[in-house]
Amino acid sequence: MIRRVLRLTTGRIAFGILAAIAFLAAFGPLLAPYDPLEGTTDILANPSGAHPLGTDYLGRDVLSRLLDGSRVSVLGAVQVALLALVVGVVPGILSVYFGRAFEWVTLRLADTLIALPFLVFAVAVTALLGNGIPQAMFVVGVMVSPLFYRVARAATLSVARSQYVEAAIVAGASVGWVVRRHVWVKVLPPIAVALANTTGVGFVVVSSLTFLGIGVQPPAPTWGGVLAADLGYLSFQPWAPLVPTALIMATVWACNLLADAIRDVTGEAGRALLNTRKLDPGKVTNGSPVAP
Amino acid sequence: MSLEVSDLDVHYGRTRALRRVSLSVAPGQTLGVIGETGSGKSTLARAVVGLVRPSAGRITVDGEEVTRYRARQWRALRRRGVVQYVFQDPLRSLDPDVTVEDSIVEPLLIQGRPRREAADRARRLAARVHLDEELLSRLPGELSGGQRQRVTVARALVTDPRVVILDEPVSALDAANRVRALELLKQLRDAGTALVFISHDLGSVAGVADRIAVLYQGGIVEEGPARTVVNAPRHPYARLLVGSAPTLRSAAADRAQREELRELLQNIGGPA
Amino acid sequence: MALLSLRDVRIHDGVGGRDLVHGVSFELSPGKVVGIVGESGSGKTLTCRAVLGILPEHFRVSGGGIELDGRDVATLTRKEWTALRGGTVGAVFQDPASYLNPSLRVGPQIAEVVRVKKGLGRRDARRRAVELLGAVRLRDPERVYQRYPHELSGGMLQRVLIAAAIAADPRVLIADEATTALDVTVQAEILDLLADLRERTGLALVVVSHDLAVVAQLCDEVLVLRAGETVEQGPVERILYEPRHEYTRLLIDQHERYGLDRFRELDHVA
Ligand SMILES: Nc1ncnc2c1ncn2[C@@H]1O[C@H](COP(=O)(O)OP(=O)(O)OP(=O)(O)O)[C@@H](O)[C@H]1O
Ligand SMILES: Nc1ncnc2c1ncn2[C@@H]1O[C@H](COP(=O)(O)OP(=O)(O)OP(=O)(O)O)[C@@H](O)[C@H]1O
Ligand SMILES: [Mg+2]
Ligand SMILES: [Mg+2]
Repeated sequence: MIRRVLRLTTGRIAFGILAAIAFLAAFGPLLAPYDPLEGTTDILANPSGAHPLGTDYLGRDVLSRLLDGSRVSVLGAVQVALLALVVGVVPGILSVYFGRAFEWVTLRLADTLIALPFLVFAVAVTALLGNGIPQAMFVVGVMVSPLFYRVARAATLSVARSQYVEAAIVAGASVGWVVRRHVWVKVLPPIAVALANTTGVGFVVVSSLTFLGIGVQPPAPTWGGVLAADLGYLSFQPWAPLVPTALIMATVWACNLLADAIRDVTGEAGRALLNTRKLDPGKVTNGSPVAP
Repeated sequence: MSLEVSDLDVHYGRTRALRRVSLSVAPGQTLGVIGETGSGKSTLARAVVGLVRPSAGRITVDGEEVTRYRARQWRALRRRGVVQYVFQDPLRSLDPDVTVEDSIVEPLLIQGRPRREAADRARRLAARVHLDEELLSRLPGELSGGQRQRVTVARALVTDPRVVILDEPVSALDAANRVRALELLKQLRDAGTALVFISHDLGSVAGVADRIAVLYQGGIVEEGPARTVVNAPRHPYARLLVGSAPTLRSAAADRAQREELRELLQNIGGPA
Repeated sequence: MALLSLRDVRIHDGVGGRDLVHGVSFELSPGKVVGIVGESGSGKTLTCRAVLGILPEHFRVSGGGIELDGRDVATLTRKEWTALRGGTVGAVFQDPASYLNPSLRVGPQIAEVVRVKKGLGRRDARRRAVELLGAVRLRDPERVYQRYPHELSGGMLQRVLIAAAIAADPRVLIADEATTALDVTVQAEILDLLADLRERTGLALVVVSHDLAVVAQLCDEVLVLRAGETVEQGPVERILYEPRHEYTRLLIDQHERYGLDRFRELDHVA
């Protein structure tokens, strides 16, 4: 799959950007020139040699804050995605196969989650599990999981009734086999698209939680947090939100590209696309019963 | 008996698709099933392989009474590969995203056989149904209708089943390939496989089957040795069926004749 | 004047890098029927798809020309194609199920064709759709109208497709194995229906079939295809009863081996 994605230009670009972001997440905190938490008197400074991206309202170096916050931000997004997969996609697929009871319960759960007010839920979770990034991500992951549940379920349903699945069942296939061999490929592309969109939402939502004192403790930086702070001082530094926005957008865009690439290389559509690249000149196909 | 069905009823919702169908096939025997479109031939096949639940009656496959089988028991039976089903519609019964080779070997992989051995068998079977080896790496959408049909037959034979139900296995084949496919069926039969051969092509059925059952509106209206059914049908529907078959040398019964038989049928109504 | 004419049509496969159909020609005037028979995989379906401008990706007509109703199809725009399909040329394909939307009831899918192509209102379109389902001899058309594709048998689906294909009163109908999933009684009635249309409206047909008997009964002219080549072409009586090419002879010979005729004969001998 990965090799096929890499054969596409879009796939390569997506991977390139995501690799750069992964690099930031891994080494960003080490690269930060200043202590991201250390304020100075030089507040809301414009970019200069000392502070390439200027300083914020407490005089903290913005570049350092972005670099330092990248690990938390990216890990957070990944966590949200994984949670959505586990809490949304897996039950979504299995709801088609695990009998009426399971289907009923998961459907009701999904409905309930959608109806649940986000903030109430967030506050309740922090009250129960304590405050911290994992908890905040948990909240976000659980809140978006109904979407994934729906997408996965719809895609699975359309495959489950098909005759090729029946054919596999007549050959003795288990549910696991059917899901791995036949369902997964068809569910993956819509999931990938939903996941890519969720990543962006994740960044922003985490920052809004930060405002409420949920999740990231206020001084600790995240991309979303920096963006939110910048937005508060728009009249002083109208250009400031550009950088965190660009970072978030680049990530979201790369995820979307990747999702597109995955959709393009899976299954029939993918075959047609990739075929253009392997032209092997003609062997004749038809076995012939008699000489002409 | 390899396959025994007695007093089988199948309902889809409130409609009764099969009514009191009974038949049996011994090892090395072939039962031809012909009949009206929508008369329940595919439904019969699907009931035998457990894809629809009968509402009454009994089904015995390879000595096991399967009527009340639960999912797990079915799976165990199917995994042994003793019973296979060739679906009527080749395109729909092949996963569009899975290559021909992978589709053919799927039953073997499900049994847990090694991939290498399975690939080997795929190639041998492809040769038996006269499918070019080059086609194995294609997707089903990239084949012609007849090529796909041969793929589904190859897949059904890959586990050396003892009971095979073939739902229109030769309808998309040209005369030469059809003869080859039918010869292959005869070989299977001579090797002791029990076959149920569903087809609209009376000639093919007559040439391969030992006995023929005629299905009409969900019930068997006539059953007997192949010859008798084709040459001296008794039930009006069977007569209409045989009479409507065009052959190269004689035109089919003309309209007037058919109308007459239709009317006769109307008066009798469906099977009990 | 010819409604449809193919002149030495070649179809090229861009992936395999070879021609799959090398030179098919025929002319079809109103009320006439051309049959195409031949080996499985010889390019019959591809030829039909070329006429409709729906070749699979990477396939193209690389030589010769196709004229539909006096217009070279190579010059048609997408919009013109849409207007032409259904109205001027209709088609029934092998694998009926793949041409229907599995999540919609079959009746409304036909009604939609009628509505768009004939400009009928919703009510009338529905009535016409039910009428068409009756015309293809489906028992209880009102009920079939309400069914989903997976609830119909193979033969019923095929008839639904035939109904959809004649819904917009095309002048040319391409029937690719259109009667193979039907039992012979229904097949006979569908053939009658086509013959009626042919007489009444001058419908011209391209019939692809493996059943030589159907071809014999229905067609005026026959092409015998093998591996993309036309090996023989001519009036149906000549081709089927005095074949010249070896492959045609083989085809007829093999057809007879499992023909009802032979079976009946055997019985007389016995
Ligand atoms: N899933 C389903 N739900 C409801 N009705 C169904 C379903 N499947 C089949 N039927 C109905 O049951 C009847 C028998 O269908 P079946 O497919 O067994 O016919 P068949 O004899 O195989 O016909 P054909 O020769 O056309 O394939 C038909 O009237 C069909 O509409
Ligand atoms: N999408 C595709 N990609 C690659 N090859 C294809 C594709 N579609 C058809 N072919 C090949 O083109 C050839 C002609 O196919 P076509 O479907 O026209 O055959 P046909 O004469 O209709 O045969 P049949 O009687 O079996 O339906 C076949 O060898 C087939 O494998
Ligand atoms: Mg059927
Ligand atoms: Mg074809």
